[in-house]
Amino acid sequence: MTTAVQSQGGAALDRPAGSGLAEVVDTILDKGLVIDAYVRVSLVGIEVVTIDARIVVAGVDTYLRFAEAVNRLNIADTGGKGLPEFLESAQESGAQKKVKGGAKGALEAAGETVQGFIDRNDERPRRSPRHDRVREE
Amino acid sequence: MSSPSTQQGRPEVESAWYVYGIVEADVEVLPEARGVGDPPASVELVRSGDVAALVSEIKRDQPLGRPDDLLAHQGLLDAAAADAAVLPMRFGAVVGSRDAVVQELLTAHHDQLVDALRAVAGHVQYVVRSRYVEDTLMREVLDENPTAAELAGQLHGQPSEATRDLQLQLGEIVNDAVEAKRSADTESIIRALEPVSAATAIRAPTHEQDAAHVALLVQTSRKGELDDTVNRLARDWEGRATLRVLGPMAPFDFIVTTEQGPGG
Repeated sequence: MTTAVQSQGGAALDRPAGSGLAEVVDTILDKGLVIDAYVRVSLVGIEVVTIDARIVVAGVDTYLRFAEAVNRLNIADTGGKGLPEFLESAQESGAQKKVKGGAKGALEAAGETVQGFIDRNDERPRRSPRHDRVREE
Repeated sequence: MSSPSTQQGRPEVESAWYVYGIVEADVEVLPEARGVGDPPASVELVRSGDVAALVSEIKRDQPLGRPDDLLAHQGLLDAAAADAAVLPMRFGAVVGSRDAVVQELLTAHHDQLVDALRAVAGHVQYVVRSRYVEDTLMREVLDENPTAAELAGQLHGQPSEATRDLQLQLGEIVNDAVEAKRSADTESIIRALEPVSAATAIRAPTHEQDAAHVALLVQTSRKGELDDTVNRLARDWEGRATLRVLGPMAPFDFIVTTEQGPGG
């Protein structure tokens, strides 16, 4: 059940020794051979594992989360470039690292937040954010 | 291995047989193997002709479905798949009697089971899931969608209660863009992995920021090639998406049940 793989893929590659519960649920509850219904005995206790929606259905909640995610581009702790910087660089097409003045118009408020991060490079290790919020790992 | 006494004449707690999967009849089960239940039940083989069922005798009134039961089900099958051809059952297959395991499951479907076991022999399954790095993803989306970028600009710094409609508008655009990226990236991941796989199957995404979720049936002898390919993918996608590779596991995604009611 374990694979001994040297993780040459670096930080971006995750080779866990076994499946986590959420992944087991994805695998064994709707995949595999099924016995004809008539030889099955009804089971109890299954509700333990069905609380998570296993299908991603886009809806209002998804949209709001994506809007939040866009908004997080501004937030300092991503260590990346902020939204105003992005917008500006998009307007100037290219030259993403070069934002000098504050942002303009509606973006002005963010100027201060962003300022401190402009010089940081983008190359430090990232982890995918907010795994814990959702149903896995 | 013989079953621990099916105490005839004590009908108050009847036994049932939990079935994990099907293997070839010459497989042996180690006495220390454990399966579902609390305490975990021992695992035995019920044979018929060339096939055998991996089963545990359990009490009929025993609750199943605890996290440990699920982990035991997959754990046992994954371990079996490492050494032998196995057809995993979906979780929760319980048969009323040992005789029914032999007759209704094994004997009734004997030839199909033999064929299916031959088909998966020498193969194991891997699951590859890729998850976008959120800020790279959002930046890409804004970069490629002027409307989204403009909405993001309008929303910025506004109190979120006052801008729900705009947020929904933005979120929907982002969602559509992410779905389009997911299809493209799933396709490209499958293209990369197809050469080392005997078969591939696309799984439904389990997270809205999934870039791809695919199952692969891989010849045991090609594990090294798979590793190389996955490592290359992970390097190519570094900073944009992460990869998670599960396996080797039993070939859950590649077992097809053809409908066969009791009437034939």
